[in-house]
Amino acid sequence: MNVVVTPAMLGQVVISGILSGALYAMVALGLALIFGVMRIINVAHGPLLMLGAYATYFLSTALGINPYLTVPVSMAMLFVVGVLLERTLVFRVVDAPELSSLLLTFGVSIALVNLAQLLFTSDLRSVEYLTGAWVVGPFALSKSRVVAFVFAGALTGLAFLFLGRTKLGKAIRATSQSREVAMVCGIDVQRIHLVTFGLAAALAAAGGALIAVIVAIQPEMGQIWTFKSFLVIVLGGAGNYPGALLGGILLGLIEQVASLFLTTQLSEVVAYVLLVAILLVRPTGLLGGRQT
Amino acid sequence: MSQRVALAAPVAVALALAAYPVVASGYEVRATLQIFMWIVLAGSWNLISGLTGYVSFGHVAFFGAGAYAGAILISKAGWPWLAAALVGGGAAVLLALVIGYPCLRLKGPYFAIAMLGLNEVLRALVSYFEGLTGGGNGLSLPTLDATVPIYYVMGLTAVAVTVLTYLIITSRFGLRLMTIREDEVAAEAMGIDTARHKLYAFLLSAAGPGIAGALTARDQGYIEPISVFPLATTITMIVMVLFGGKGTVWGPVLGAVVLFVAQEVVWARYPYVHPLLFGALIVAVVLLMPRGVLGILQVRYRLPRTI
Amino acid sequence: MATPVLDIDRLRKRFGGVTAVDGVSLRLEAGRIYGLIGPNGSGKTTLFNCITGVERRDEGRVVFGGERVDGLRPWEIAQKGIGRTFQVIRVFPELSALENLLVVTRDRLAAARERADRLLRFVKLDGLRDEYAGNLSYGQQKLLEFVRMLMRDPTLILLDEPAAGVNRTLLNDLLEAVRQLRDRGKTILLVEHDMKVVMGLCETVFVLDHGEKIAEGAPGVIQTDERVIEAYFGR
Repeated sequence: MNVVVTPAMLGQVVISGILSGALYAMVALGLALIFGVMRIINVAHGPLLMLGAYATYFLSTALGINPYLTVPVSMAMLFVVGVLLERTLVFRVVDAPELSSLLLTFGVSIALVNLAQLLFTSDLRSVEYLTGAWVVGPFALSKSRVVAFVFAGALTGLAFLFLGRTKLGKAIRATSQSREVAMVCGIDVQRIHLVTFGLAAALAAAGGALIAVIVAIQPEMGQIWTFKSFLVIVLGGAGNYPGALLGGILLGLIEQVASLFLTTQLSEVVAYVLLVAILLVRPTGLLGGRQT
Repeated sequence: MSQRVALAAPVAVALALAAYPVVASGYEVRATLQIFMWIVLAGSWNLISGLTGYVSFGHVAFFGAGAYAGAILISKAGWPWLAAALVGGGAAVLLALVIGYPCLRLKGPYFAIAMLGLNEVLRALVSYFEGLTGGGNGLSLPTLDATVPIYYVMGLTAVAVTVLTYLIITSRFGLRLMTIREDEVAAEAMGIDTARHKLYAFLLSAAGPGIAGALTARDQGYIEPISVFPLATTITMIVMVLFGGKGTVWGPVLGAVVLFVAQEVVWARYPYVHPLLFGALIVAVVLLMPRGVLGILQVRYRLPRTI
Repeated sequence: MATPVLDIDRLRKRFGGVTAVDGVSLRLEAGRIYGLIGPNGSGKTTLFNCITGVERRDEGRVVFGGERVDGLRPWEIAQKGIGRTFQVIRVFPELSALENLLVVTRDRLAAARERADRLLRFVKLDGLRDEYAGNLSYGQQKLLEFVRMLMRDPTLILLDEPAAGVNRTLLNDLLEAVRQLRDRGKTILLVEHDMKVVMGLCETVFVLDHGEKIAEGAPGVIQTDERVIEAYFGR
């Protein structure tokens, strides 16, 4: 392989990696919260992100609202969807064997993707807004990616403030430490599950909304996000929320570095090989974490 | 008496199916071949997920791997299709070893998610190694009408998977697989090497789909990434096993026959609603009848596990 | 002093910021019954989990029969001869009583069957051998779990609260079985809250508090130890 890597290229790669890493971190935080609090992996996390993307697409194209103003709206919509999902289906399998929760959320994810195909067709759709890049010195910064980074950083920061400072957020963290202890302390665990699921769906929706401005969307876009979010959790260490942030940035960087040497076609292969390699060498995650 | 019936009935059905191509139309042979394929796929998924409780969300990857391995051997190396099909099975087992060894040592959802991503990866690899696989343009096999012999080989594979399931379920190896599903921590504390058991079950569960993939590639004469790696195939085999009864011998067979017929007769008219219904069906079965049809009968009438 | 069956040296296990087991050392000799007591959350079950490999210890060594076993996988430790029961019963509910025992050994099937039958008769469950374990009563499941652990003929037996939720008659049977095992040279370590059981059965008692071993000795001596009384009744 004959690739000459200049410092400028490397800088560009690091910048792009951090930009997309923040998005990974925010979306993965949602999956990590559900896993931490409810002990289930929500396979439908990516398809919820897809719904968030469509919410922004329709709000901005049909109603002409600035797509970035639709982010909170899509988050609110998906919060409601998440709460409804938890209340009608997911709560029934929280204490069931893992097989049940995985299959149930898998079924939900299949249904959501196909419902979207039925309603929105499989056509690629894109939000035409903020195209092009800012050129800073030798680097080109895609405008929509920079804005997405700012949004993702701010929303993730807010989520951590919520978890760290508010009573409800502390209750969520307590529940993810130990459900028994939380119940003894008088925390309504059912309600915590509901809020956590809604919050996770809202974080996914924010990701979808921001992605819709960056690339064209279609109903099957979500599934790879379930996978990548899980990979971020594994990188950061399961049950370790700040770890998810580092994991996200790390995944972004690794993908970008890999794209220097390989075609972008193989970026998913790189992510996959990474997952298998980590599980082989360091099953508790690169950054350590609670074993389950 | 009932034991004799239990043995005689499948033998009679097998003989009838063996004679079927003589009298049946081309469409009917193809449809039955498809049922055989679904029995292979559903029965194989049952071996890992039904017995150990470790869900494979990407079993179609083994089907696709077998299809490409077989098709490349037939079209580029001029292999006879039967040998290519066996190697297709072998290729799938090898792939299962590479994925299963790291992922099955761990508890929790690692294995399920790794399998969820595997499909995308294989698709990307097929596109990348365009010279060998034809990439997105697909791969054409030399013309050959072998539907009837393939019918027999696929039928034999279906029988083999079902007999294998029977042998496993009635053995201590099979019981140990079930202890993983029932309580993995207790199984380990009792000295059962769960990681190795899971891996063996997984390797066995990859062989059938690999062979079926290669046979299907030969029969259709042309493969492309979308045709051999569709997520829908994984969904269908999962639904078949859940509906028929996971962890039983005949559940996957029942699920394959009933859902294939239903799919052909009813849902073929509503092609877009059909995958949506399958998603909903998975949710419904998990919540309302997690044991599936045969599982319910088994518990209610105290039938042995070998139904 | 004879070589101990189990020699635990400064074992330490942390969960996040909490140290569940804090530098505990124990020596168990063959053919004796040991008790492990302490208030809730003092680290008894965690210690069991570290010995049996269910949890990975952070520091320290566990030597069993002269061989280091810390760092081994749970099944390897079980195969070396440590058997255990759980605080919350963990039988395999959808396997029959007989199958619950058969899965455990690698002996030839005929030999395994014979041993399983003998053990089921021993706890009077032979009439229920083909019943799903999940359909048995609590007490029957407890007995089944107990004999399942005996299928491998372990040299060291760890019992996590054998007396909890068990009626008088059943309890006496269980205690008698434990004494018989001891007489056959087995070593038994049991976690128990029922002090009558501990005092009546154990020859040596270890007391844990906040993950630390605070006392060790004969039951009568332990009862009057000031630190033990303090741990149980507050300070």
